[in-house]
Amino acid sequence: MGVGVRFDAAMVRRYDVAGPRYTSYPTAPQFTEAVGEGEYLRTARASNDDPIPRPLSIYVHVPFCTAPCFYCGCTRIITRDRTAGARYLSRLQREIELQARLFDRDRNVDQLHFGGGTPTFLSDAELAELMRFIRHSFSLRDDSQREYSIEVDPRTVDDARLAAIAGQGFNRISLGVQDFDPEVQKAVNRIQPREDVLAVIAGARCNGFQSVSVDLIYGLPRQTEAGFARTLEQVIAARPDRIAAYSYAHLPQTFKAQTQIRNEDLCPPEIKLALLGVTIDKLTAAGYVYIGMDHFALPGDELSVALAKGSLQRNFQGYSTHAGLDLIGLGMSAIGQLGDELYIQNHRLLDDWAGALDVGRLPIWRGHRLTREDRIRRAVIQDLMCRGELDVREFGERFDLDFSTHFSEELDGLATLAADGLIQIEPARLRVTPLGRLLVRAIAMQFDAYLKPQIESGKQRFSRIV
Amino acid sequence: MGGHATQPSLNLYQLRRTCSTCSLSELCLPMGLAPGDMQRLEELVTPRGPVNESEHLFRIGDPLRVLYAVRGGFFKTYLVEANGREQVLGFHLPGELIGLDAIWPEKHQCNAIALNTASVCELPYAGIADLGRQVPGLQHSMLRLLSKELALSHSLAGDFSAEERVAGFLLSLSSRMKARGYSATQLTLAMSRRDIANYLRLATETVSRVFSRFEQDGLVSVDRREVTLRDPEKLGELGRCFSAGW
Repeated sequence: MGVGVRFDAAMVRRYDVAGPRYTSYPTAPQFTEAVGEGEYLRTARASNDDPIPRPLSIYVHVPFCTAPCFYCGCTRIITRDRTAGARYLSRLQREIELQARLFDRDRNVDQLHFGGGTPTFLSDAELAELMRFIRHSFSLRDDSQREYSIEVDPRTVDDARLAAIAGQGFNRISLGVQDFDPEVQKAVNRIQPREDVLAVIAGARCNGFQSVSVDLIYGLPRQTEAGFARTLEQVIAARPDRIAAYSYAHLPQTFKAQTQIRNEDLCPPEIKLALLGVTIDKLTAAGYVYIGMDHFALPGDELSVALAKGSLQRNFQGYSTHAGLDLIGLGMSAIGQLGDELYIQNHRLLDDWAGALDVGRLPIWRGHRLTREDRIRRAVIQDLMCRGELDVREFGERFDLDFSTHFSEELDGLATLAADGLIQIEPARLRVTPLGRLLVRAIAMQFDAYLKPQIESGKQRFSRIV
Repeated sequence: MGGHATQPSLNLYQLRRTCSTCSLSELCLPMGLAPGDMQRLEELVTPRGPVNESEHLFRIGDPLRVLYAVRGGFFKTYLVEANGREQVLGFHLPGELIGLDAIWPEKHQCNAIALNTASVCELPYAGIADLGRQVPGLQHSMLRLLSKELALSHSLAGDFSAEERVAGFLLSLSSRMKARGYSATQLTLAMSRRDIANYLRLATETVSRVFSRFEQDGLVSVDRREVTLRDPEKLGELGRCFSAGW
């Protein structure tokens, strides 16, 4: 598949429509309370019955942060009370027990991810205790093929902590950097001197992490082209394996912390557009491969290799090389997935999550059982977002349908995007162009059956594509 | 049936038609019967369905009332040991009879459960036994079916490796499906890996390890419950001895 990407400001401006990220289809807003613990238990137990049951992926959400970053839209709890971690852990252990008994022990955990909040809010001892418990309850791997990653706030770790975390079995780390410009950092309450961050990046490598990923955000208040260009150069010089450049989504009605950003500091859309342009220019010039959505990786990174081979996947953790894993979500708001059958999400409020576990129940809030139509559309979105193309005949055979008939409406909807050069629609194949890769969400949205009625009613609020 | 009615009404007769229009008749009890005899057998048969997944046909100790012929779907027969552990005795495909082991002492010797949505034909034992005394062909087909059942359990007693057992299991399934007009290479496993392992006297993890090995070596490809036999010859070499009785 063509791995090039082309930035065209006019095109981006035209297709800057609010849309989901499609880490799942249907997306989380479609989950309902019609799916509950009973259904999850049955489906989880049945997942052991395949002749070769799917391996496992575990996500652990640690929601706590000691101070708010004003841009943040994640599910988190601001607290300086360190005992909150211990209380959370005891419930987490109960949740691990309840989940672990549903899955046969010979199913290995190929993927493990700690996210938050700030996973490093937990002390080394607490992290060690948690990992020990997970290791005791599930079959973890210790070979280089495992993807065990943790999100780290560079302000919370030093060399010793990095070594300890690596010693727990994590082999991948992702660091929240956002922007090195002190003015920007002040405006969003995320002050972390450049030197310190670069030291952590270097330290991660020395302490056994085989992959380092850096998160940046463009469109933050007070960002300038020159300032962000500098940040990019400095990050590139540190040569992380992966760089994710997220677009800042200003939705203060949904994310309370964002109300603390002063209106006069907000980044104008034209600047934000320019920032995206400079990001793409600099990263591709430095040899980074555009994987898709917000992600870039070095050419030797397995995501780049998978992209070139056509084996790239996308799941709740974002882009991945692993396909066909059952995802177990642990912690507040965590999402789980069983095959292509069932999605579930845990309670988003701490009290609800803890309350369920305190009475021995799994803290499941809502979910969705995929229909055949869901599966079909999910496959289209996967193919377009991961492989950049879709073989019409092969797709038709896979799902026993005639693509152009089944999707005649959607293909009509794509006509404008095709005319603008984002996608090539041929009888045998749909192909995303280098121009379209940046705007693949707009293409994917054409196939989202749940979106149209909502756009019409003005109900959903998603982040803008760029 | 008395002699006063010259013939059952056409409608009734057609309703009761089972064996003569059943695609499984050559495999099932009516195999080799002359049309007239088949008609007499048909009059005893009652189709029943759907039998829902996890529904029992009979449990151990139930008095023998009817034998069951599988019309559609899959069944599993099993025992529960004193310690509560389940022992799988066998899997039953369309055209196969369940309950033959109840003939003496006229009580079911095991439990039979549907593995998916299924359907059966009920064959009242007293009537079948009676008819058997008048129709030699029927006795003959009963004995054939009994003998096949016996042969099936020989292999399980033998000293075969895990690979040989799993290969043999797939081969048996393949040839039984082929005899019913289904694909010999595209199998859908209605039974869980735990049941397969139990039946083959292997650990559950061992069964999966063998399937993974077979997949790596190109003998099969596995997608959820679908198993495609990619190299039936090679599988045949491995599993032939184990599945000899089948």
